Amino acid sequence: MKVLGILVVIMVSLVSCTKKSQVNDDTIYGVIDANIKGLDPIQAADNYMIKAVSQIYEGLYHYHYLKRPLQLEPQLAESLPTISPDGLTYTIKIKKGVYFQDHEAFPARKGRELTAHDFIYSWKRLADASHKATGWWVFDGRIQGLNEWRQELSQGKVNYDSPISGLTAKDKYTLEIKLTKAFPLFEIMLALPPTFAVAREVVEKTGNEFLNHPVGTGPFLLKEWIRNSKIVLEANPNYRTELYPNEGEDVDRELSRLEDAGKKLPLAKKVVIQIMPERQPMWLSFARGELDHAIIPKDNYSQVFNGKTLREDIRKKGIQILNQPRPDVTFIGINMEHPILGKNKYLRQAMAMAINNQISIDTFYNGRGIPAQSPLPPGFRGYKKSYKKPYDFDLQRAQSYMIKAGFPDGKGLPTFRFELTNASSWSRQMGEFLQQQWAQIGIKIKLIPNNWPQFDKKLKSRQAEIFFMAWTADYPDSENFLQLFFSKNISPGPNNFNFVNRDYDQMYEKMSLLSPSPERLALIRKMVQLVNEEVPAIFLLHRVFRLPYQGWLRNYKEYPGINDFYQYLRIDLERKSKLKPKL
Amino acid sequence: MSLLRYCIRRIFFALPILFGITLVTFILFHLVGGDPAFLIAGKNASLERVASIRSELGLDRSLLQQYISFVKQTVTFDWGRSWSSQERVMDMFWRGLGPSLSLALPAFLISFLISLGIALLSSYYRGQCFDRGVLIACLALMSFSYLVYIILFQYLFAYKMGLFPITGWDPSWSGRWQYLILPWMISVTVSIGPGVLIYRTAILDESLQGYVRTARAKGLKDTAVYSQHILKNALVPILTIVIMQMPLMITGSLLLESFFGIPGVGGLLIQAIQNADFPVIKAMTVIGSIFYMLFNLLSDLVLTAVDPRIELK
Repeated sequence: MKVLGILVVIMVSLVSCTKKSQVNDDTIYGVIDANIKGLDPIQAADNYMIKAVSQIYEGLYHYHYLKRPLQLEPQLAESLPTISPDGLTYTIKIKKGVYFQDHEAFPARKGRELTAHDFIYSWKRLADASHKATGWWVFDGRIQGLNEWRQELSQGKVNYDSPISGLTAKDKYTLEIKLTKAFPLFEIMLALPPTFAVAREVVEKTGNEFLNHPVGTGPFLLKEWIRNSKIVLEANPNYRTELYPNEGEDVDRELSRLEDAGKKLPLAKKVVIQIMPERQPMWLSFARGELDHAIIPKDNYSQVFNGKTLREDIRKKGIQILNQPRPDVTFIGINMEHPILGKNKYLRQAMAMAINNQISIDTFYNGRGIPAQSPLPPGFRGYKKSYKKPYDFDLQRAQSYMIKAGFPDGKGLPTFRFELTNASSWSRQMGEFLQQQWAQIGIKIKLIPNNWPQFDKKLKSRQAEIFFMAWTADYPDSENFLQLFFSKNISPGPNNFNFVNRDYDQMYEKMSLLSPSPERLALIRKMVQLVNEEVPAIFLLHRVFRLPYQGWLRNYKEYPGINDFYQYLRIDLERKSKLKPKL
Repeated sequence: MSLLRYCIRRIFFALPILFGITLVTFILFHLVGGDPAFLIAGKNASLERVASIRSELGLDRSLLQQYISFVKQTVTFDWGRSWSSQERVMDMFWRGLGPSLSLALPAFLISFLISLGIALLSSYYRGQCFDRGVLIACLALMSFSYLVYIILFQYLFAYKMGLFPITGWDPSWSGRWQYLILPWMISVTVSIGPGVLIYRTAILDESLQGYVRTARAKGLKDTAVYSQHILKNALVPILTIVIMQMPLMITGSLLLESFFGIPGVGGLLIQAIQNADFPVIKAMTVIGSIFYMLFNLLSDLVLTAVDPRIELK
C-alpha cells in the first residue's frame, strides 16, 4: 500500500508540473511522423530528413513562403543566377555577412563567414562516392568535370583541393557553374537540400559523426537531438537579418498571415520537433494542445469532420485546418516488360476503365483527393482542369476492350501478381479493392505482400508486374513527373514501368532543354496525351491533406518544397491562454 | 564438475550455435532482405550509382567473402556503421539500452512480485471463489492484444484523465520517470495474466506433493508450509521462466517504445529490416542470441544453487 501511495503522490506532482510547463510557453511544438536517420544534407532523401535538415542548413535558393504556385527566391544567393545566352554558365553572387553557427571546429569557436568555396566543397562532398549520397542525382551528369572528379577521387587520383572545370569561385562571393548541357531547371536544383552549404572544418573535425553535429547558416541551431524521440532547435544568434515576407495570396491576408510582415526571422526562439511514428499518440498530444500542428489519423477523421466540414466542437476549440493539395500522384504501375501486359495496349486500357476511382478516393482517402487525369498535379504547367483522361471508369467499354485485346471476360489470361507496397491492412484492402474491380472484366490478380525492401528490390530489378505507388514532386516542375516515363530512367531509375517510347523520349529531351514557353507547354500536353493513350500507369488521385493546427499557431502554411517553414511560425500567447483551457 | 569447467564447456558448446545463427541470418538476409544498394540510391537511382554503392558496401564481393567478414565482425563485436544512419552500430545499441532497461526492468520486477503474490494466494485458496475469480480475470486480461492496452491506457489515463504525459522522453534519470509510469502500468497489466497462471500451476504442482502432506501432518502452519517447502521447490520452474524472459528486456519492447517515444533498442531491429540495414540486423541478431545463451547458462547455475538435487553435468 505504501508503494501505491508513493506512486499516487508522484503522479499528482507530475501532472501539476506538466500543466505548468505549458502555460505561457511560446515554444513551437512540431511533429515529424517518422524516425530521422541523420542530419546531413547530402543524405536528405525523404521528407522527414529534408524537413529536419532545412531548419539548420540553407541553400542558394528556396521558395517564397506564402506565394503559390511556388516561387523561387534567393536564400544564400544575393539574387537569381545570371545565365549565359547558351544556358551553360551560371554566375551566382553570394550574400555577404552570412555566418555559420558557432562550433569548436572554427577558430575561437566562432562561426566564420560563408564563401563561394563552401559551396564548391559541399558539392564535391555530394559527389564523393564514398559518402553514398542519396542526393547525388541532383548533380549527376550536369556539371562539367564533376562526374570525372567523382570517378578519379574513388581511384585516389584527385582530392578535395583538386579543381573542377565546372565549379569555380571567381572571388569570395561569386560562384561560377558550367553545365555539361543546358538545363533550364538547374536553379531549382539549387534549392534542394543535398546542395546546402556545409563547413569543411566541421565535417573534418566531426568525421563520421557529422550527421549528428549539424552546423549550418540557417535560422535555427541544434540544441538537442534524442534519436527516435525529439529534436530541439534554438534560434541561431549568428543568423543574418532576414524578414518575414510582406506579400502573399488573398487567403494569407484573410488568415492574418501577413501581420508579421517585415519582422526579423526566425519569429520563434525555440522549436521542439517531436518524432512520432505512431498516429494515435500524435493525435492525442495534438488534441490536448501539446502539439501545435499534426496529421489526422484515418481512423480519427470522423472526430474532426462531419463529412467535409469541421465539427462544431472542434471549431469551438479554435482548431484550424490547412487544406493542402499535394504535388503528387498516386497510380497503379504496369511493367511494360511483361510479355502480355506490356504488349497489349487494349488490355491496359481495359484495366484502366475497370477501376471506379471515386470509390477508392472515398474509401481509402476519406474523400480527400482530386481524381487524377494525368501524372501532373494541379498547379503544375500542363495541368488543365477541364482535361479528362481518355480511359476513365466505364465498365461496358472496358469489357469491349477486353474483347479487342483478345481476352473476352479474361479468358486465356494468367493470374497477374500485384505487389503490395507493405504488409499494412490499408495496403491489403487497396489490393482487394483492385482485385474486385478487375474481376468484373475477368482479370485475376494475386496479392503479394512485401516489406518495403522486398518491394523496392522487385521494382528496381523489374520483377514487379503490377504495383501501387505514389510520386511526390522533388521540385515544382512538370518535368519531375514526366521523367517517370523517359526511357533512360527505367528501373532502377524512377521509370519503374520500364516504358520505352521513342516519340515520348524525343519530346522529353526537347522539353527538358526549353524554358517555360508555349512551345514547352504544348510538348508537355502531347506527352501527357501519349502516356494516357499507352497506359503504362493508371492514374488515381492527387492527395489533399487536411492538416490541423492550433488556433494559437500563427502563419502556418506548410507545403512540400517549403521545408524551412518553422522560422515563419510563432505562438500567439494571448490566444493560447484562451484556447488551451478549452482542450 | 567444477563450476568454472562447466561454464567453459557451455560457452564452448555455444560457439557452433552462434555460427549457425550467423549463417541463417546471412542466408535469410540475402534471400528476402531486399537490396540495400537500391534503397540507399533512392527513387532517382541509376545503374552506375547502384553499382558504386554496392562496391562501397562491399556487396560486390563473393558471398563467401561477405560471410567471412560477418564472422570477423561477430568475433570482434564490431559491426561497423549502420548503412542507414551511418552511426556506429554498437553506439546505437548502448544508447538504446538504458531507456529500454528503464522501461523493462521495473515493469518486470513489479509484474513478477504481483504475479507471484496473486499466484500464492490463488493456489492457497484453490477451487474457491477467489481462485476462480483470479483465473477468470487472468484469462480476460490475456484475451486482449498488447496494442489494445496501449491505445486504451494512453487514451484513458494520459489523454482523458491527464495523469501522465501522452508520450515523450527525458534522458535525465530524474526526468524520465514521468514518461515511464504509464508504459510500466501497461506492461504489468499485460504480463500479470500469463505470469499468475504459470506461477500458480508451478505452486499447485508442488502443493500436491507427498512431502507437503507430511509437513502438514507434522503440524506445520500453512505459512511455514508455503514459505519453507512449497515456494522453495516451486522456485525451480519459476526461476527458469523468469530468467529466460530476461533477454527480452535487453531487446526492448517495440510497441511500447514506439507509442511512448522511448528511444530504446526495441525498434532497432524492425527499423533495420525496413531499411535493409544489414550491419544492425547482424548485430541485433547476434547480441540477442548471445544474451539468450548467457541467460540460459545463468538459469542452470541459479537452479543448482536453489535446488541441491540438480547437478551440473
